[in-house]
Amino acid sequence: MAEEEEEDWVLESIVGYLGSPEWVIPVSDFMEIKCSVFDDEDESKLTYTEIHQQYKQLVEKLLDNHMQEIGINEQQFVEACTSPFAKSKTVQVLFQPVLATDDFQMFRSLMVQKNMELQLQALRVIKERQGALPECLTDGADVMSELEQQEMKILQEVLKKSKEEYDEGLSQRTVGSTSGPCSGRGAPPAPGALEEAPTQDPGSSRAQVSPVGRAALEEAAGGLNSPEETSCAAATKHTTASKVLPVVRAPVKGGEPPADPCPGAQEQGSSKPSSTEACLDEARREAGISKPYTELSESQQQRAQYLREQRDKLQALKRGQPNGRQMASPEGRAPDPPPAPVTPEVSAEEKKKLQKRKHLAEKLKEEVIKK
Amino acid sequence: MGESQKGLLSVIQKLKGSTEQELRIVLLGLDNAGKTTLLKSLASEEVNTITPTQGFNIKSVASHGMKLNVWDIGGQRKIRPFWKKYLDNTDLLIYVIDSADKKRFEETGLELSELIDEENLKGVPLLVFANKQDLATASPASEIAEGLNLHTYRDREWQIQACSAVSGEGVQDGMNWICNNIVNQKKK
Ligand SMILES: Nc1nc2c(ncn2[C@@H]2O[C@H](COP(=O)(O)OP(=O)(O)OP(=O)(O)O)[C@@H](O)[C@H]2O)c(=O)[nH]1
Ligand SMILES: [Mg+2]
Repeated sequence: MAEEEEEDWVLESIVGYLGSPEWVIPVSDFMEIKCSVFDDEDESKLTYTEIHQQYKQLVEKLLDNHMQEIGINEQQFVEACTSPFAKSKTVQVLFQPVLATDDFQMFRSLMVQKNMELQLQALRVIKERQGALPECLTDGADVMSELEQQEMKILQEVLKKSKEEYDEGLSQRTVGSTSGPCSGRGAPPAPGALEEAPTQDPGSSRAQVSPVGRAALEEAAGGLNSPEETSCAAATKHTTASKVLPVVRAPVKGGEPPADPCPGAQEQGSSKPSSTEACLDEARREAGISKPYTELSESQQQRAQYLREQRDKLQALKRGQPNGRQMASPEGRAPDPPPAPVTPEVSAEEKKKLQKRKHLAEKLKEEVIKK
Repeated sequence: MGESQKGLLSVIQKLKGSTEQELRIVLLGLDNAGKTTLLKSLASEEVNTITPTQGFNIKSVASHGMKLNVWDIGGQRKIRPFWKKYLDNTDLLIYVIDSADKKRFEETGLELSELIDEENLKGVPLLVFANKQDLATASPASEIAEGLNLHTYRDREWQIQACSAVSGEGVQDGMNWICNNIVNQKKK
């Protein structure tokens, strides 16, 4: 390490910044929220370009802020980033999300990877909780049911929503943190890293709640108290949620199970709650907690509960008004087919999509089982 | 060339590890002209399973020591309004025409002339592929050039090349023109 050399302080500061929550959180939040449309098809969708554009703006804003903060200009930035020290592998990995602004193909593969990561996480949770993958995931008959796919989507919507809420919370708090090479602890995994939370020290992270989690917990309390939030979707909720998302409501009770995509009663019993658990685990993960749901403190359970409710609402919202809360794009994208409608009926086009998803799930399955 | 990106993002281009020269090439033309077929044949890929493009394709092809990043955007009418989002920093426009589709010569000419007026394509060299020459009904390239009034284009380098994307005939000639005229200019 060339810590003492003065000329390296700029690079050090940049590297520190790229590992800090100030950078990692907005960037990985962006990716998690936007990655769901990125599949591994050869052809790219027009929306990818739009999302790439938004990404460029985000990165530019973040880097501009940091450069201003430490008082360097673009020239110094480039010089630091092209110095020999910057050629090291670790630094290059950190730079990837920056370079992705100028490289669509790199951006695309980061997003595809992120999308797969999220789906993998869900599968891992299933495996962890069950000790093995449910039969319907291992026999290859119906690898990841459409239902679970929908849940992943909704999950991502929920993550997005809680991020928005977090942002609101954040703007009220003051962020008095300074960035440094070590401040990335407790932050979500750096984009590009395949495994969950590599930056976290497993021993110390246990009791610690990340800033996101904390704000979210605060928000959760607020959200639970606000009646107008829950009422908006209540009407449709009962008629539709029970049909489409039975699992959301009763993880253990095993209430009346409706239309079943996995044939066989047993599979159903084991796979449905799992996806709920995936959701709960997502919630826990977001809150920076690594305990099973049942061991969570009351407020943490509230948080998880809150996420579930949010998901219910989103689901209901989607059914009620198809264009409701879809990511509003500033510029129209008329020629693009509407974002995959969450409908129980399967059109020919949907069927094709489903095939692709199964294909993806196959890949994921291989990976999970290997581990 | 291609400095329309401002500020930090233009600077990030310089952070790339490789010193390899890159060209950004945009492939446009009406639907069914053969753009994707051309792209795939450039990348030495199978051309039998191509379906109409709903979004876009991008492939990187190595040629004459350069990395050519080729963007193929769908040509259906509803997608054409999106073309202009892909023109930033373009080093070369390749315009593909179905030489056998005489009914749409006027339409394709109109689209081309609109593109040529785009601010982002100012002075950008133009290569027109008069594609599908393997078809008996194909018009010769010279006729198409005339119909497009190519000889009136004085603000940029241009070339028209007869080709068949399925047989590959003429494609390499077009690429050679690119390399001789664009690559060399850019290297300077
Ligand atoms: N005979 C002949 N057919 C060709 C040639 N090039 C392409 N085609 C055929 O023309 C049809 C359209 O080709 P595409 O490559 O999909 O056309 P495109 O310009 O990408 O169309 P969009 O994606 O809709 O914009 C396909 O059936 C191709 O096989 C050619 O040189 N000769
Ligand atoms: Mg095409």
